Amino acid sequence: MKISYEWLRDFVDLDGVTPKEAADALTRVGIEVESLTVIDVSEIVIGRVLEQKKHPKSRNDLWIHQVDLGDRTEQIIAGAPNAVPGSLVPVALPGTTVPNGKLVKDLNIAGFSAKGMLCSAEELLLSDDHSGILILDAGKPGDPLTSVIPNQAIMDAEVTSNRPDCMGHMGIARELAAGLDRMMKVDFMPAFTGKAEPAGREMVEVSIDDPDLCTRYIGGVITGVKVGPSPLWLQRRLRACAVRPINNLVDISNYVLLEYAQPLHVFDRSKLAGGQVHVRRARAGEKLLCLDGVDRDLTPDMLVIADAEKPVAIAGVIGGEASAVTDATQDVLLEAATFNGPSVRQTARALGLRTEASARFEKGLPAELALAGARRAAALISELAGGQVHREWADVYPRPQEPIRIRLKPWLIDEVLGIHVPLEESEGILVKLGFHVRILGDGEWDVLPPVFRLDVSIPEDLVEEVGRVWGYDRVPPTLPGRRHDRWTPAVPSIGRRLDATRQVLAGAGFTETWNPALVSGRMLEQLRVGARALRVSNALSDDMDTLRTSLLPSLISVVALNRDRGRTDVKVYEIASVFLARVGDKTTQQPEEPLRLGVVADAGTTAESSRDAFYAMKSVVDGCVGELGAPECTFQRASAELFHPGRCAAVFLDARQLGFMGELHPSVVAELNLEGRLVAMEIDLDPVLAAAAVKRAQSLPRFPAIERDLAVVVEEHVAAAAILAVIKEAAHDGLESVRPFDEYRGAQVPEGHKSVAFALTFRSPERTLTDAEVDKVMAEIRLSLEKKHGAGFRT
Amino acid sequence: MTDPRSLTDEALAAIGQARTESELAAIEVDYLGRKNGRISVLLSGIGKLPPAERAALGQGANEAKRAIESALAAKRHQLEDERLADIAETEAIDITFPGPPLGRGHLHVLTQVQRQIETVLESLGYKVELGPEVETEWYNFEALNIPPEHPARENWDSFYFTPDLLLRAHTSPVQIRAMQRIKEPPIYIITPGRCYRRDPPEATRLPYFSQVEGLAVDKGLTVGDMKGTLLYMIQSLYGEERKVRVRPSYFPFTEPSFEFDVSCGICAGAGCKSCRYKGWLEVGGCGMVHPQVLRNGGIDPEKWNGYAWGFGIERMAMLKHDIEDIRLFYESDLRFLEQF
Repeated sequence: MKISYEWLRDFVDLDGVTPKEAADALTRVGIEVESLTVIDVSEIVIGRVLEQKKHPKSRNDLWIHQVDLGDRTEQIIAGAPNAVPGSLVPVALPGTTVPNGKLVKDLNIAGFSAKGMLCSAEELLLSDDHSGILILDAGKPGDPLTSVIPNQAIMDAEVTSNRPDCMGHMGIARELAAGLDRMMKVDFMPAFTGKAEPAGREMVEVSIDDPDLCTRYIGGVITGVKVGPSPLWLQRRLRACAVRPINNLVDISNYVLLEYAQPLHVFDRSKLAGGQVHVRRARAGEKLLCLDGVDRDLTPDMLVIADAEKPVAIAGVIGGEASAVTDATQDVLLEAATFNGPSVRQTARALGLRTEASARFEKGLPAELALAGARRAAALISELAGGQVHREWADVYPRPQEPIRIRLKPWLIDEVLGIHVPLEESEGILVKLGFHVRILGDGEWDVLPPVFRLDVSIPEDLVEEVGRVWGYDRVPPTLPGRRHDRWTPAVPSIGRRLDATRQVLAGAGFTETWNPALVSGRMLEQLRVGARALRVSNALSDDMDTLRTSLLPSLISVVALNRDRGRTDVKVYEIASVFLARVGDKTTQQPEEPLRLGVVADAGTTAESSRDAFYAMKSVVDGCVGELGAPECTFQRASAELFHPGRCAAVFLDARQLGFMGELHPSVVAELNLEGRLVAMEIDLDPVLAAAAVKRAQSLPRFPAIERDLAVVVEEHVAAAAILAVIKEAAHDGLESVRPFDEYRGAQVPEGHKSVAFALTFRSPERTLTDAEVDKVMAEIRLSLEKKHGAGFRT
Repeated sequence: MTDPRSLTDEALAAIGQARTESELAAIEVDYLGRKNGRISVLLSGIGKLPPAERAALGQGANEAKRAIESALAAKRHQLEDERLADIAETEAIDITFPGPPLGRGHLHVLTQVQRQIETVLESLGYKVELGPEVETEWYNFEALNIPPEHPARENWDSFYFTPDLLLRAHTSPVQIRAMQRIKEPPIYIITPGRCYRRDPPEATRLPYFSQVEGLAVDKGLTVGDMKGTLLYMIQSLYGEERKVRVRPSYFPFTEPSFEFDVSCGICAGAGCKSCRYKGWLEVGGCGMVHPQVLRNGGIDPEKWNGYAWGFGIERMAMLKHDIEDIRLFYESDLRFLEQF
């Protein structure tokens, strides 16, 4: 919200306080000033145009002015024609830098000297009006412009949603006064009342149909107004707050909105059918042509102001064109009402129309504010538009604002802040903010917040009021610490435990990624992993409308992105939850959120390269699971969505399936616009963490080992694991380890067969084995393999 | 016939002239070889000698053998010393040539920063708590004193699945769940995790991000304790010279509420381009836990009070590593991720 420093001076004495100091003080008390723009016009002087004539030679339209500067007259050339003789204008003399940054020079334009520049409002940064020279309505030639237009400083302040009272200059000024320890110059409630006869309430009929949605409606009658432009000072203040001046009546209602935060509306009373105002819900099919020229369909959810026949305004949002003030308007109805915040928000949202008024009503305004705003506006109308304000307005107030009372134990302030604030200081702060404090016999305080503060209701709120003005900078930082007789032992977090897996992966060349959990639901369906996916009902876009059920689609996209950017051999992983709608569980609607590890790696372009990559990925699974302290995984041939039907394994930890690994299905790779082959794995981590155990040391062998290789020739379909099982069974105890290390097809191996080489290590824990003993075991192994798998042997 | 002494002299002379290990090896075989070495040959005739001379020859041969062995050893030592004296030149390599790529992968910078934050807070006794990312309306809003129609709700515009089920907008629901589970304070927890808000992606915000929130519930906690905790955390992460300030603000779940800022690391608070001339960088929100929120967590606010805070991990990482665009964290470009 834009705040004018000059405007604040109406309410609080800012002598000796620079705009920057004021901005800092506001930030300190909780009104964050995001930026401060200072417009310094002190170098500009006032001139009076004595003579204006057209430049005879210039091809452009230029006007030559003789300008009285008090002590002398200068010749100044301008492009705009509006500085007619007699006009008071702002003059920038040669050597002056105008607020918009332009340096004025001593010029000669086609034979005529130009000793300065007449400024537009835009050049002085007073508005975006560049249609002509700014014509002043007061001032003395030769005087500085600051004698009529003070230097401007505009703050962009952020007002938190609990403080609608600060969505106006008066509320801001009150905060500033408290922050600077100064008193407010004006009372919240203006004393102004109308005097004209007859009583306003007899001139208009007001009713509220739905007191839940409108708790107060004040309709003030003012007759005999003269519609015209507002004075410059008022226009300037509106412009400083980015509001366009229209006419004095509309400008005054905007002015009071920006001052008191109370939205107002001015109707042309002659256009209200039956002289009636009804606050009611819109009827189905009703429409309203609004002030912005848009014809809007209304629904019964929306609250409207209607005359005897039809809606004339959408309550709290925007007025209607037909009942608006025009140049011909003489009698007006001034509306100051209190509309229900959620209702206004809903209406504004449904219409896609957020106005200065709706932005304030949305937050929930106090009904007492309506009267203050109405009085202020009536006073200004009477002063600036010459109207007769009638006495005793219509004021329908079905639910008077409940006063709030808070019982405060004042020592709570020190207890919560952790610093001593003297009681009289606390009391002074509350009083400056408009609170009434009555000290009771037992030392407790009976506190009444001001009527415009609906956000204060519990003692902690009062602590905050005192604290923010006293200054949190004065609270010394401390660390809490008292003797505890209860605790829970420290255990490493899941994230920290999984760092072991991250280190394995980093060592193996894999880089961790964090990918968005919201992905395209259509893509999940195309990949056939969307069956249990949760779809967002209000997605921002369809490429992130669904929660992912697998980490792999994201990781495959990562490979694609990095390949596009020139990378080869991409190896990436992610540790994150996926989201699976529950099947058949009615106890909770929340989905399962299993924590997963997903890994994807480039696997070259050939069947062979990808086979090698498959086995490398198996080692990654083993390494990741093993490093967490879980027992070894087993692998079973399987088929799964996303995976190559001949190159996919289910990963098991004991009897529990953790997930799948393998080469990705060629159609999946193609679906995501990739070429070549990829290997991947995705496993659940929760069961791995649950199975983790402390590693127990094995004693080191005391006797030497004997190593043998064995090349087993079997038919293609015999799996290495099956051969292994036979070897282990035949060898009994002497075999310390056995591991397949090579597969061979070709010379010496019959068609349809393969040769699998194993490395065997024999060792006894009790003695040194002899070659003869090992030869005997090897012979038994061969015999078993021949019998079970018809194996032959290569040497 | 040669005698042991002249054999020895001959051998020592040859050793003296030898320049390489292979020459020495040849000399060794020539004199000391088991079958055809000259000493063996000399001794092979010992049986033909009279017994009285046998002993003398045997002794002489042994002495010759020892002398040659020791001369060989000495000469080898000398050659090795000479070789070592020269390796600075003979074996010099170009140490400016780079090593081969290590081929290692990288932990995500957000993982690293999150862990640093956890480490600092764990050193103060806080424990990590986790919770679901898909939450109910009650845990995400109502328990945090944000009833339906609350004007502040627009600050947490959320993704919904059903009217009651949404992606959590902050990790605060984990605070409520933790209070309900732990029941009896002291409670000192931190809640790292992913959050979601319906903000279109841009350089400073994303619809998905990660937070670390903290919660302390104990007896007699103060705003000063909260400030001290934040200052300890910031100084531990960014250096002892950093300052923290709290500015009054508003959240429905804390009273009083604050924004907390860190002094700019470049200008130390004086104001510069990087802090937009404010001297301070906004980091997160904090405050004393609202009594109603304690009640919603099953804690009696008459007996206990607390403070809480929250901030984005991305923001902390951006400050620490001079990262200017939040989208880099989730775009997964390896050229970015491999920098950390």
